[in-house]
Amino acid sequence: MGTRPISLLILSLVVSFSALAPVRAEGQTGTYVAPRTPDGQPDLQGVWQVLNTAAWDIQDHHAQLGVPAGTGVVEGNEIPYLPAALNKKHENFANRQTLDPETRCFLPGVPRITYMPFPFQIVQSRNQVTILYEYVHAVRHIFLNGEHPAGPIEWWMGDSRGRWEGDTLVVDVIHFNAETWFDRAGNHHSEALHVIERYTPAGPDHINYEVAIEDPQVFTRPWKMSMTLYRRKDPHSELLEYECFAYKFEAEWQK
Amino acid sequence: MKWHGVVLGVALVGGLSVPVAGQKYGELAGCSDEPQQFHQCARTKAKEFNPPRTPDGKPDFRGHWSRAGVFGTDNIEEHGPGLGDPGGTSLVVDPADGRIPYQPWAAAAKAGYEDTHMDPAALCYLPGSPKQLYTAGVNQILQTPDSVIFLNDYTHAYRVIPTDVRPRLGSHVRFFMGTSRGRWEGNTLVVDVTNQNAKTWFDHVGNFFSDAAHVVERWTMIGPDAIHFEARIDDPKVYTRPWTMAFGLRRNADPAFEMWENACHEGNVLRWPGTDLTNHLELYFGARPPN
Repeated sequence: MGTRPISLLILSLVVSFSALAPVRAEGQTGTYVAPRTPDGQPDLQGVWQVLNTAAWDIQDHHAQLGVPAGTGVVEGNEIPYLPAALNKKHENFANRQTLDPETRCFLPGVPRITYMPFPFQIVQSRNQVTILYEYVHAVRHIFLNGEHPAGPIEWWMGDSRGRWEGDTLVVDVIHFNAETWFDRAGNHHSEALHVIERYTPAGPDHINYEVAIEDPQVFTRPWKMSMTLYRRKDPHSELLEYECFAYKFEAEWQK
Repeated sequence: MKWHGVVLGVALVGGLSVPVAGQKYGELAGCSDEPQQFHQCARTKAKEFNPPRTPDGKPDFRGHWSRAGVFGTDNIEEHGPGLGDPGGTSLVVDPADGRIPYQPWAAAAKAGYEDTHMDPAALCYLPGSPKQLYTAGVNQILQTPDSVIFLNDYTHAYRVIPTDVRPRLGSHVRFFMGTSRGRWEGNTLVVDVTNQNAKTWFDHVGNFFSDAAHVVERWTMIGPDAIHFEARIDDPKVYTRPWTMAFGLRRNADPAFEMWENACHEGNVLRWPGTDLTNHLELYFGARPPN
């Protein structure tokens, strides 16, 4: 903790210096400026998907049967669990075949929904960014002109409030329940989870997606994930359906 | 979800031949919102009304909307009151008798569902088309230059209707919401819906369609706060002829309205932990048309 003021000082110097340089804000490459919607907002609309293995494990991992090896999306790779929370992560991992909420087809929470291996579509209107996800037809309403309701509320996908910082859509998400995980490896959080997402257009077909995670009941400090979102370039890309629980019911019924 | 079970329970024991009182209908864009009258009146109004436009010049449907003149999903034909549904006239505007023109086998199957099966909607199944338009709750319409998007509050169902020209998926492909292909005919959005899996019903009493159904929807704004919706349903496996349902959609007057999470399946599982649902799945899966 004693080093934090110095870190902050260095960070602020870096940020100040960056502001003077021709390179744009953190996470962007080059000087790409997104096209605008008729409302004048940066246009992030379209069908997007990740190309990574974070759905299996957000940290570095080797391959197993049915699991591709992957480079993690956690900055620095370490997740700063409190001791009891780290034990719970290990238990979750050991029992993931039955404990993972994905096995019950629940709404997967934020940010896990982003890096499920399914496409999602961003639709913008003046006061709202709507994200439609193919996986379990999840929907997020990101309100641009309101504040979080007071709560207490426990939602699967949380309450999302967005704002534009230059070309970056910044989304503040709170009011989660503690039922969802971050991945199939048992990484978890409590209902005190606070997520800040940053969607920064890096080119016509790429978005830099950065996520800050804060949960003082589970982690010793905030930590971050980052990854690239890719535009689905196939002609006539469209969202289809993955009705997880319906397939489960029918498999059960046919037994 | 508890509500659906209760509503259905009453429908199962209550019988449905009670005459309908007509006082509950209101006004929508100068028309009665009673579906039969609304359909006639709205077709005239549509010729007079010049809708607002999106930035790219299409009729602007954007906003929050609720069904008008439809008070429940007990029965899309004329029916008396049940718990949660005060009754109503038929949504079927063609044939003129307001009855779905079932083939004999289908009429017999439907008559049996009411006593032996639960509405699959209680499983939180997606509603399909056109049921998506008359489900309870507030809905939202979004538009992009090449699509119209309809979102339900209930079960967070959504449908992206592309209005550019694009091929359909293979005819063997099945989805709860089917595939939609839209186009503009003047001020009317015309949507062709195919590829539905037909695993949901139109209502609690088991009015149904098959996976051969071809639905043609027509959405027309007839006033700043009113949409006329009609759907022509052709299904040679189930009906003797195509038929049409129609009703209105009314704009939500609250500009600050926000649609919040409706975690239907999750609520089902957590309310009834364990295997309650899966122990009773035979109640939900209805008979299929003969091959």
